[in-house]
Formats: sequence, C-alpha cells, structure tokens
Amino acid sequence: MTSTTDAIYVYGIVPADVQVEDDAHGIADAPVKVIREGDIAALVSPLKADHAIGKPEDLRAHAELLDGTASVAPVLPLRFGAVMTDAQSVAEELLREHHDDFAKALNALEGHAEYLIKGRYDEKRFLSDLLDENDQARALRDDIKSKSEDAGRNSRIALGELIASAVESKRQADTQTVVGQLDDVATQVNVREPTHEWDAVHVALLAEVEREGDVQAVVDRLNEKGKGRVKIRLLGPLAPYDFVVAPTPES
Amino acid sequence: MTTAVQPAGGAAGGPSSSSLADVIDTILDKGLVLDAYVRVSLVGIEILTIDARVVIASVDTYLRFAEAVNRLDISQEDPKSGLTDIVGDVTESAARGKGQGVLEAAGEKLSDLLGDKQPQRQKVNRVRSQRGDR
Repeated sequence: MTSTTDAIYVYGIVPADVQVEDDAHGIADAPVKVIREGDIAALVSPLKADHAIGKPEDLRAHAELLDGTASVAPVLPLRFGAVMTDAQSVAEELLREHHDDFAKALNALEGHAEYLIKGRYDEKRFLSDLLDENDQARALRDDIKSKSEDAGRNSRIALGELIASAVESKRQADTQTVVGQLDDVATQVNVREPTHEWDAVHVALLAEVEREGDVQAVVDRLNEKGKGRVKIRLLGPLAPYDFVVAPTPES
Repeated sequence: MTTAVQPAGGAAGGPSSSSLADVIDTILDKGLVLDAYVRVSLVGIEILTIDARVVIASVDTYLRFAEAVNRLDISQEDPKSGLTDIVGDVTESAARGKGQGVLEAAGEKLSDLLGDKQPQRQKVNRVRSQRGDR
C-alpha cells in the first residue's frame, strides 16, 4: 500500500448525494474527494503524511471548502486538523461507526447554515460618549491632565479600568440586544467570547439559508440604530462550526 | 452561486472576505472533534498560538485606554491641526500593533499577502448538490 506516505485530510461530513466539482482543491492544493458510506459521505483530500499543515492558506482552504458547501448542502464541519490514515478508515471508523448520528444531524441541518455577527465599538466614539456620560471618567481625565506622567499613573490606571468595565457592561447589553433581535430569524444562537478588546458583540447563529435576507435586515437595522457607535458585520453562510457537538465518548 | 452577504458599511463580509482572524476564531476553536476511537489526529500543526485571542484586561490595557482618552482630548482641543492627526494616527497604529490581538495583527498582514494570490479558489472549491429539494 502507498498509505505509508499518504494520509487523508477530513474536512467534514455531508449527505451522500453531494458532489464535488472535478477541479475542487483543498489543503496543499490536493484534489477534493468524496468518500461515501450509506447515506453520508466525508469530504477529504490526500495529504502527504509528513506535510505539516497550519499555514494561513491551509486554514483558508479548510474554511472555504466547508463554507462553500454550507450554502448548498448541510455539512458537519470537523475542527481544523483532522487526518486519518487512509480511505478505508474514513469509511469504516468515521462514517460507518457514526452513521446514524451523523445522518440525523445532517437531516436536522437541512437548509440551514451558520452566520456570524461581529460588532466593534468605534473607539473614539465610545470614549467621548463615556466622558459625556460619566462624571468620574471626566474627573480622572482632568486629574491626569494636571499631573506629570508619573504622578498621574494611578489615575490613568483607574481611568483605564473604568473604561474596561464600561466596555464589558456595554458589551453585555449590546449582545443581549442583538440576540433579542435574532429571535425570529435564528434557529439557534451561540454567544461567543470576545476576541478583541473593542468587541461589542460576537454571536454565531444557525439560520435557514433562505432567510439570509432577513438576517441581513436585522444587521442593517442594528447598524442603523447604532448610528456609528457599533459597526456590525455579518459573515456567512458558514459551515455550522458552533452547532455541531461531538458524540460524547462513553468514558 | 455563492451568496455573499454584503456587509453594511462596506467592511469585509461573506465567506470570501472573512479575514484570516475570522477564520482562525472559528476553525481552530469550533467544529466537530471526534473521539479517540476514530484515530483522528493532528498532523504537525504549526498553529500560531491561539492564547493571544483571549481578551484579558491588564494594567497595560488600562494604560492604553487612558492613552486613547488623552489622544481624544488632543484632537478635540485642536481639531484643525493636521499634525495632531498625523501624530494621532501614528500613535494609534503603534498602539494597535501592541494592543490588538497579536493574531489579528498578523492575520491582517497575512491576508494582505494572500489577498490576490488565489483568485480561482472561490470558484474551484464549489461543491455541487444535486439534491432535489435545494
């Protein structure tokens, strides 16, 4: 067997009737293949066993294949980096072993995709609003101005801490507002941890692909209401990374 | 027919324009992880450490925030001063280099580099479905 040099990179699980364009390429520019087993299939591509992955183009290849799939068919995305020894192990140990679980999950996902809502505060706007609203912030700012850099250090730390806690409480409030607005359009919502200090909202939602326009409308409305205070982006359709749960091992 | 969602305000949006940081947030952290029985393994992943994503407020953060207020005051006191704007921008981007998630900064750079390298990708990677109901 040549399997000593080739491994199989696995992107995700799809229904068996999904087909891939002949020229579809994945990680390391390898051709994307489908391994079918019963009603389900795995999207895979060959990978040299000694090929280290993790470069930006690898991450993109993984995401783009899965996200591209999500807009036309249900898909269970695997976390980046899943590699199996050969096609046989994909068919037997991955697909056959979990066939019914995967088929059920794909069925439930039919017509749905993930969307990501990411909002950032405008730093300048946030700070000037805070200074307008908050007496303590103004007092600290004035204290800092009247002192040398060293003498004002404690006040600067206090002001910064006040800002950080203001960001956090506004983030909570804004996240709640967004989640509330998604009630009608989202099947499920997952609030993500912030990944940037000016993050206002970071929410993943599962929605019907057909209702993408409605999701966009919600985001537009929020942007309009925010009047430049928060800038919200909508990403998607994406594979439902936030909404697939690994079958828990019996341990 | 990739239905790219057009973002309001012209910022990046849609899968084709997700920044590398957006991708990293998602695919390294989320998605199906299979149990050990399936022998799914990680192959030599050179992952940029993902610890940097976590937002932790520290004294350093506080001082940076206070500095941002200071910049705000300078530009408000003399809004016409072009020099202040320039200085402000420079400070800002310097602060961003330090303050922004390290990954994100790196991601922006990398995505710049990668930006136009693979114009075919979007098309090539299309998956077809011949499912009657779709």
